[in-house]
Order: sequence, then structure tokens, then C-alpha cells
Amino acid sequence: MAETIELESGGTVWKILVREGDTVEEGQELFIMEVMKMEVPYTAPIAGQVTGLHIREGDVVEEGLAAAEIG
Amino acid sequence: MNWKPEADEIAKRRELARAQGGPEGVARQHEKGRLTIRERIGALIDDGSFDEIGEGAGSAERSENGELLEFSPANFVLGFAKIHGRRVIVGGEDFTLKGGSPSPAGLRKSVYTEDLAVQHRVPLIRLHEGAGGSVGGSGGGPSLPGPVFAPSRFRSVAEAMATLPVATAAMGAVAGLPAARLVSSHFSVMSESTAQVLVAGPAVVERAMGETLTKDELGGAGVHTRNGTIDNGAEDEPEALSQIRAFLSYMPQNVWELAPVGPCDDPVDRQEEALIEIVPRERRRAYDMRRILALVVDEGSFFEIGKGHGRSQITGLARLNGQPVGVWANDCRQLAGSMTADGAQKAQRFIELCETFHLPIVTFVDEPGFMIGSKAEQAATIRHGARTVLTASLTRVPWASVMVRKSFGVAQAAHYGPEPYVLAWPSAESGPLPVEGGVAVAFRREIEAAPDPEARRRELEEQLAARQSPFPRAEALSVHELIDPRETRPRLCRWIERVQPLLEPLKGRTGFPVRP
Repeated sequence: MAETIELESGGTVWKILVREGDTVEEGQELFIMEVMKMEVPYTAPIAGQVTGLHIREGDVVEEGLAAAEIG
Repeated sequence: MNWKPEADEIAKRRELARAQGGPEGVARQHEKGRLTIRERIGALIDDGSFDEIGEGAGSAERSENGELLEFSPANFVLGFAKIHGRRVIVGGEDFTLKGGSPSPAGLRKSVYTEDLAVQHRVPLIRLHEGAGGSVGGSGGGPSLPGPVFAPSRFRSVAEAMATLPVATAAMGAVAGLPAARLVSSHFSVMSESTAQVLVAGPAVVERAMGETLTKDELGGAGVHTRNGTIDNGAEDEPEALSQIRAFLSYMPQNVWELAPVGPCDDPVDRQEEALIEIVPRERRRAYDMRRILALVVDEGSFFEIGKGHGRSQITGLARLNGQPVGVWANDCRQLAGSMTADGAQKAQRFIELCETFHLPIVTFVDEPGFMIGSKAEQAATIRHGARTVLTASLTRVPWASVMVRKSFGVAQAAHYGPEPYVLAWPSAESGPLPVEGGVAVAFRREIEAAPDPEARRRELEEQLAARQSPFPRAEALSVHELIDPRETRPRLCRWIERVQPLLEPLKGRTGFPVRP
């Protein structure tokens, strides 16, 4: 089953640690947001393949954005 | 001659009352994926425990010779029942009759709900679906407006909130008076799939405001669990009911009693290895505070309230060695865990809940301070925040505060209460303001003059952060104990045991009961 990773809050995309097509483990860090000077890591909720990645480093993004999909 | 004819009529009326809006009305309700009020009550309470009040209330039509032609039951069902073996009052509108809009007898039963709960000092549960009055009047015929000496209808609503736990659920569209009573509660939940909460519905809004919106856009769970109108969302009606049962399990019957201490099979000396590594050494790196909470309190006992609202603050109920407690923590993944205006309001209401029902408060502190910036100023953050700080300072319940990471500014004071038992983790940092903000102001010229200002700023931040070590605080007895994070549960369980004698004298009303 595919999982969409939505942003819990707005902020700046600081680092992206995977690419579309990568195979990831459950709990692996996918990207890190910067929110109020804190680095907020987002991890894979399931093991699988990164089937979508809709953010780029430096993007200023809004809460609720579907940032990535794991299929 | 005996009284059998009357007894038969009583039985017939009861049968009609239980038939609610008739097979068609009930079928319509089911088609929309919703339960009837009697089904809701049945699913909420302990099996067979419903003891109805006012089953015979309604309006009857009789023939000239006095024979019962029609009986329309009051569209509010009310009664005593038991949940977890403890007595409660439960009531709710019957949407299969007149769309839940109050009929004269229904309104009487509905208003009587609070009186009955206040009189018997038992928790009150209202399951709402319905609207308020209609310009056509309720009940058809003209009726006299209430006399000047009639008691205020809302006095008992407020009195209930001051003296006993009130839990409510929105199960379908709830508007007008039922909506006001829905939010007049200590815990509210709405079924995401079937409920909306509205001051006024789409037709009224379109007429007055020119906004064309669906009921969900106007007042669905997406709106109201985010703005704090409703505490929790639930997938559907059964989940909403199970959340109410869970909430009540932490509550005393009323303010003159203490919360029930349950059996606990989770060892009080359990030390979780994971606690030593959850907080990253990199000071800017966020972590999962909810995981810490779950590892410390009695296993599976954390019941979160208001997750969608004021999200930099986490509030919920839990148990420590079986004793119900209020838990308040910061979520550093949300705006660094800072106290926003809505987070402050959420925390204040939560502190009031704990104070009203004599629940000890345990905080897990990672508070960088009040939220800053133009939006925060526009939201009146400082006033809402100060109110929370003062509310905490006036409480009488015992507090235990675990300094997990940051504890800065005025905002941090709210997390400690008047006489807290303070434990600090090695990751604790405290002071007037976080290093990052302080360095930018105090070393502005030096940073600007440096060949690489950004590098110099980071360097200064690191130097000053190193000075915020919690060891001097322990030496100065500024904290009760600097601890290995793994010891948190045993320490808190010992604390909860020794504050037991402090709870007994708290029984009774509080100085500032919780309000919506």
C-alpha cells in the first residue's frame, strides 16, 4: 500500500536525503525540514520505493503539502 | 374494574417512544450512515444499564372519547446508565423526529439533563445531532415566552462544568443551542464521517454573508478539530463513543471525589533504554515527544486531547502506577514547541480541567518561549500566554516537571506550577532566552564585523550553549534531581505515591472551574 507523507507544519526544506526511485527502509530519514530553527526529520512510514518527491531543497512550503510518496 | 386499560396505554406509549420517528425515520437515519440516539446510547453504556427518564414525555392526540390516536415522543432521550460500572447521565437529540429541533417536551428533557446530573453528582454525556429553534416556533402552537423569574437556562450548564465531568459528541449536524451545549464540555469529540458543527447552516450563511459552502466546508472536522472548538476527531460514531468511555475512565464522578486509581500491571521501576537516546545531541534536531510520553507513563495509558489544535503543545490524560494524571508536553516538531496563542489557550483549558478534577499534572518541558513574529503578535500571543502562566501559578494540584530540553523565557514558567517536583535530563537547557535569539542580539556588532558572520554566529552559539549545562542547576538545588532519562518512570511513580495525601484535601470546587 502506498503512503503519502504530508508536512505537519510549514517551513523550509533543508535537506533531501533520498531520490525518486530509491528503495527505503521503514524509519529511514527521507528529508529534513527547517521549522523555527529546528531541524525536523521526516521518516518513511513503511519500507518501499520512493514513488514521488514533490519538494526541493530551499523550498518554502506550507503545512499539509504532500511532500513524498512511498509505494 | 382495574387499571388495566391505563396500564395497556402506558405500555403502548412506551412502545411508540422506543419506535422513535417510526420505521421510515429510522431507515432515513441509517441510510445516511448514522445511528439513532437509542443505538448510540446502547453502544456507549454498559449492557442493559439504561434507566430512562421521561420516556412518557411527548405529545398525544386523543379521540373525542379519550382514546389515544397518536403519540409523538419527545425528541430528546435521557436517562441514567453505567459506564465502566459507574453511574452517569446520558442524553441526546432524536434526529428521526423533527430533525432533532426541539419539541416542547424534548426541550424540557434536554434542559433537565444538566439539572439531573448536577443534582446526582454524576458525569454527564450528551450525544448531539440537531438544530436549535425555528422561526416557525417549536411545537406548532403559540406559546408564552418564559417569565422574567425563570432560572437562566445556562446556569445549570455552567454548574455541571464546575462540578462534574461533561463529555459530548457531535454525531450529525449540530447547530444553534445544541452546538453551544456540545462545546460546553470538558471533552468533546466529533465523528469525522457524519458530523458538522455550525452556528448557522449553509442556507443562513449564504443569505447573510453571500458565502456558498457545504456543511463540511463550513463546520466539518477539518475546521473544528483545528481551531479547538472540538477536542478530538473520530473516524466514525462508534470510535467517538469509545473515546468518551476512555476519557471518563480517568475522571472522578464529581469534584467531591478523587479520580479512580486502577490496578497497574506495568512495573513502576521499568526503565526504558530508548530514553537515553531519543533526544539528539544536536540541539537543533527535533525528536518525537509522544514516544517519550508513551515510554514513561503506564503502558498504553496516554489518551491525547486536542491533537489537531495548538499543536506545539501536547495535552492528554495518562496513568502513573494506576493514578490518573494530566500530561502536558511540548512538541518540538511544531514551531519548535513554542507557546502560540492557540497552544496557550489549549494548555490553559487543560490545566483548568486537571485542577477542577484534582488530577496531578506532569509536564515534559521543551519550551523555547512564546512564539514570535508578526502572525504571533496579531494573535495576541503574549496575553494568552501570560494567562496560561498565571493559571498554572494558581493551581493547587501537585506538579512534576521533567526538563527534557529547552526551558526559556516567561513561557516556561507555565510548565512548572507553584510547587513543582523538578527533574532535569542531561539535555536540559534553560535561561531567559534560547542561545540563538540571544546571540543575534547581544553579539550583533561582533557578528557583523567577522569575516564570515554566519560562521562566527554559529561559533558563538555553540560556546554559549555549552555554558547552559544542567549540572550547575543540580548543584544549586535549582532542580530536585538531574537524572538519567531512563529513571524518569521510577522517579515519577515514587512521586505520585508520595503526593497521594495531598489530593484528599483538594476535594470540592475549585477557584476557577473550566469553561468552554
